[in-house]
Amino acid sequence: MLSETVAESTSRRGFLARAGRLLLAVSGTGFVAAALRAQQAEAFHFCGHIYTTGSCPHPTGLPRIDRAGFPLRAADGHPVDDLGRPVDSLGRPVDARGDLLRDPDGNPLPSAPRTRICQVAAQEHGFRPYHDGSWYRCCGGHVRRLMDCCGYVRNRINGDAALTGYCYSGRRVFCVMYYDSKIRC
Amino acid sequence: MVGTVRAARPGRPRVLAAAAFAAGLTVSGALTFGALGAIGSLLRPGRGFLVAAAVLAGAAVLADLAGLRVRPQLRLQVPERWRQTMPLPRALFLYGLLLGTGLTTFVAAAAAWALLPLIVTLASVPAGVVVGLSFAAGRALPVLAVRDETALAERPRGLRALRILAAASLALALAAGEARAAQVASPGGDPSAEAADLVWQVPGVGGFLLRNGQQTQLPGNDPALGGTRIAWHAGDEVTIADSTTLQPVLQLAIPGVEKLAVSDEWLAYRVRLANGKEELRAFALADPTTTTVLTHARERGYLGRPSLSGDLVVYHLAGPAGSGLFSFDLATGKRRRLRFSTQAQLLSPARLGSKLLYVRISRCSQELRLGPLDGNGAGRVLYKLPPLAGEDAGHERGHTHQGEHLPCTPKPKPTARMLWTTALSGTTAYVTVLRPGSGGQTTPTLLALNRS
Repeated sequence: MLSETVAESTSRRGFLARAGRLLLAVSGTGFVAAALRAQQAEAFHFCGHIYTTGSCPHPTGLPRIDRAGFPLRAADGHPVDDLGRPVDSLGRPVDARGDLLRDPDGNPLPSAPRTRICQVAAQEHGFRPYHDGSWYRCCGGHVRRLMDCCGYVRNRINGDAALTGYCYSGRRVFCVMYYDSKIRC
Repeated sequence: MVGTVRAARPGRPRVLAAAAFAAGLTVSGALTFGALGAIGSLLRPGRGFLVAAAVLAGAAVLADLAGLRVRPQLRLQVPERWRQTMPLPRALFLYGLLLGTGLTTFVAAAAAWALLPLIVTLASVPAGVVVGLSFAAGRALPVLAVRDETALAERPRGLRALRILAAASLALALAAGEARAAQVASPGGDPSAEAADLVWQVPGVGGFLLRNGQQTQLPGNDPALGGTRIAWHAGDEVTIADSTTLQPVLQLAIPGVEKLAVSDEWLAYRVRLANGKEELRAFALADPTTTTVLTHARERGYLGRPSLSGDLVVYHLAGPAGSGLFSFDLATGKRRRLRFSTQAQLLSPARLGSKLLYVRISRCSQELRLGPLDGNGAGRVLYKLPPLAGEDAGHERGHTHQGEHLPCTPKPKPTARMLWTTALSGTTAYVTVLRPGSGGQTTPTLLALNRS
């Protein structure tokens, strides 16, 4: 609007109006893109996460989980056990191709525990874990559900003061995790 | 320093002076090298650092053998004033503290420099302390034993001999480190040991016995040694024989038998049941008709191989709820949980006397540990492999590091090789390493490690 007003007040208003709109569009797009880049690159450690609470302890790093809160490998969504090994639906370790790993006698190699990562955080830091609210963002072309691991805690996993976030009933956010849905966005 | 110690009057004063000097060296050596071990255990140096330390040590050995100048050199001496201003024992104790670091005065041999990164690579405080004590002893002995200090200080032969000794010690240490994990058989696994004898299983081939350097194939599978007995099975037919002559003393059929453990009095075994599950059982060799059931029936993959020493069977039980090492006393029927973890996988125990050898697989490493049988204390690590899984960056691409939480620091380089079954003798620990192949099948390799 401002560009049109300025441009239309001159004698060559048609040309200037178009030039002004183009200039504003280019500069505006650049500004928004720069702002988004800054937000992504400097503020938070994975897409969709807001504020600075750290990830829940996860066997392979990024706190990707399945719908029930069990750990998934972030790169490909494969279930992993607490040792970080890919496992089948029964929790037994498998190789890179998904074949069940067996000892030389043909028995399956022993399974290791597979624990919900909020529960791991709670065990390691001594609180009772709760999954309260969630929020959703579009990340990598799919809807991502971002979840807080809540508890009656004073400090978050980073060590500084915990915030309310999406936790209820006086509980606060201890650490964060996410579930990638298959819904395109 | 020889002169300073001998400046004390003969008799008790001189003994006191020498003891003060030795005590200073001991404390300082243990603290300095223990601290280097602690730094190593914190930093966990990688293969590159290990190779660089070994190359440096090799260069130091050559430099000392060739009698080259020690570089870098420290142009420092202990403060002479202390000797004049303090009681002699106190001054000597402080001199010992300075000399025990190895870094505060003239460096006599290049091997001293090479020791520093080597201790960091050991990544163990106890190992660092042991090296520090050895270093202190090496520094104390010439001072306490040599009467004429000119033999070392003014005659080239003395220093030359010292440097050759240092080079030889370092070369031996390098060779010992290299030979620490020796391959016994590949493919080969599921070891069992008694004194100097060792048996193992080669998948698809059978059991083997190694005695006096001679390797003999046994007429069956899954061999086990214990006391004066040896056992194997061919299908369901189990043979218990005299371990010296290999002459059978008992033969019987046990349907579904899989793994064996034997002692002078007992045979323990894992058996597959008709419903596909497995359990551990045992019987006395004097009464094979009375069977003791050691465990409930479990799905395949939960129960480990039994290991038997005297009356005590040890075994692992591992599953999604955690893993534990258990013992069962066949004489009393008493079961004990020796160790349990929901975070690390505890596998394949083997017992000898009051010691328990076992595998501990955690998120960030795989370790072969030798610890007390009663479970008090983690024990020491005899052999180590990287973890079975890697980790991602902890943050998504284009995002900040802030808030990331990685399971292992520094980032490990994972391996597909996995520590598996063990055996223990008085001098040697044995461990099977599984190497995955196609279709999830694994190939075992049997390693031997010195217990000391």
